Amino acid sequence: MKMSPEMIKAQENMKPGVITADGFLGNDDRNIVDIIAEDEREFAKLGMDFDEISNMMSEFLNIGEKGLGEPIKYKDFEIFVYEARGFIPCPFEDGIFRKKVATVKNLKNGEKIMYSELSIHLLKKHHFLQGKGSKFRLEPKILKKVFLG
Amino acid sequence: MDILVAPLIVGLISAVLSALIVVVDSIVNNYGEVEIDINSGKKKLKVQGGRPLLFTLASENIFIPSACGGRGSCGACKVKVLSDVGEYLPTELPYMSKEEIAQNIRLSCQIKVKKNLKIELPEELFNVKKFKGTVISLENVTHDIKEVKLKLSEEINFKAGQYVQLVIPPYDKIKQPTQRAYSIASTPSKKDEIELLIRLVPGGIATTYVHNYLKEGDVLEVIGPFGEFYMRDTKKDMICVAGGSGMAPIKSIIFDMYERNILDRNVWYFFGARTEKDLFYVELFRKLEKVWDKFHFIPALSEPQKDWDGEVGLITDVMVKYLETMVGKETEKEGYLCGSPGMINACETLLKKHGINEVYYDKFA
Repeated sequence: MKMSPEMIKAQENMKPGVITADGFLGNDDRNIVDIIAEDEREFAKLGMDFDEISNMMSEFLNIGEKGLGEPIKYKDFEIFVYEARGFIPCPFEDGIFRKKVATVKNLKNGEKIMYSELSIHLLKKHHFLQGKGSKFRLEPKILKKVFLG
Repeated sequence: MDILVAPLIVGLISAVLSALIVVVDSIVNNYGEVEIDINSGKKKLKVQGGRPLLFTLASENIFIPSACGGRGSCGACKVKVLSDVGEYLPTELPYMSKEEIAQNIRLSCQIKVKKNLKIELPEELFNVKKFKGTVISLENVTHDIKEVKLKLSEEINFKAGQYVQLVIPPYDKIKQPTQRAYSIASTPSKKDEIELLIRLVPGGIATTYVHNYLKEGDVLEVIGPFGEFYMRDTKKDMICVAGGSGMAPIKSIIFDMYERNILDRNVWYFFGARTEKDLFYVELFRKLEKVWDKFHFIPALSEPQKDWDGEVGLITDVMVKYLETMVGKETEKEGYLCGSPGMINACETLLKKHGINEVYYDKFA
């Protein structure tokens, strides 16, 4: 699919070493428009909604922050939030975010996922779940297992 | 053959256009020599125009704190600009409060020096220097925190609690230098050496370098000292709280007090960790307790794994328990905090709830 200049710039920003050490693309050699389109199809197939999932991710991150850097139990979940100082910019250049990283584990099925405050924005605003093999890749099937059981 | 020729032609045209842009830029955007007036004539610099203010000042050995090294992603390099340098850029606005905009505080990495400028800077920045730091030891103090000792090229004068910026060189896929702020864990009496505690952040450019690439004998650039976090010269009891690598400035402050024989203040140091494997320097502080009767070290674990006979729970809960039972209510107190922003916010709220209004910490960026 065709990339707009904004998408080309965003993809450049996602390379290793520009914003983070490992970048946002993992070993995925597709362009980000194709990654987004594929994940949107996957979301629809799984019956998931980007707003609903991103709201849950935000809620869990906020709850996990109360652990002050230690894991806490909440309902059927274990949540661990760690925050480093400073900010990280969005590769689409439309915001900056605190360096908060949450790990949420569904204790019923043992599935867990790691995401950052920036990941939530990328999912909600850009429907971008990061490239395959990226440390912060949000695999739709795992998102569903963690948050929707 | 055409398949090969077409990319070559496109490449050639691109190269010519790039060269043209460089030539035009040097002619059109030649701002010549300009003057930067700092603090109403206290310092006047004659500099070549055209570069961002942050780098222009650094080239004159005036170092503004910047946690990202001028990429516009940390919001740290704020400077009050008294001259008109144009509208705020979209890259600046997310970092600015209404009050800062009213005072014309700008991100010095985002504004270019194009004409004579008047700016205001805290005068302590005039004492900030750039050092070469040779790594003399690297030690894992926990599974994710490294203690890094650097021998400096010249003496550094700092207050216990302050921080430096490490310049991380390009490595592996990282093509540009990066800067990050780290508190000094050693005491100011050691003038040619500093010790830092660096916790690995997932995906972090600087911490990945320190943990996976840095080795003894390597030389790094170190800029500093910076920061407003240091012991206030009062007689008040001190409530110190840290977690993880937040240990660094508190350790520096406490051992500096001991070295300078400031032993008449009660110091309560609460250190929070998850399990035993996240604890470090415990013996060091236990030894200090034996020789300094007003110093109290309270490590607390939220999830002890073995036979832990110390405090259990979140550090905030433990701190409150001590404030309500052990710490003398009749004496005045100050708070000294270092850790994650969440921990700092929670502790500050609780300290204020207990009547401790003077609370100090370094926000970095």
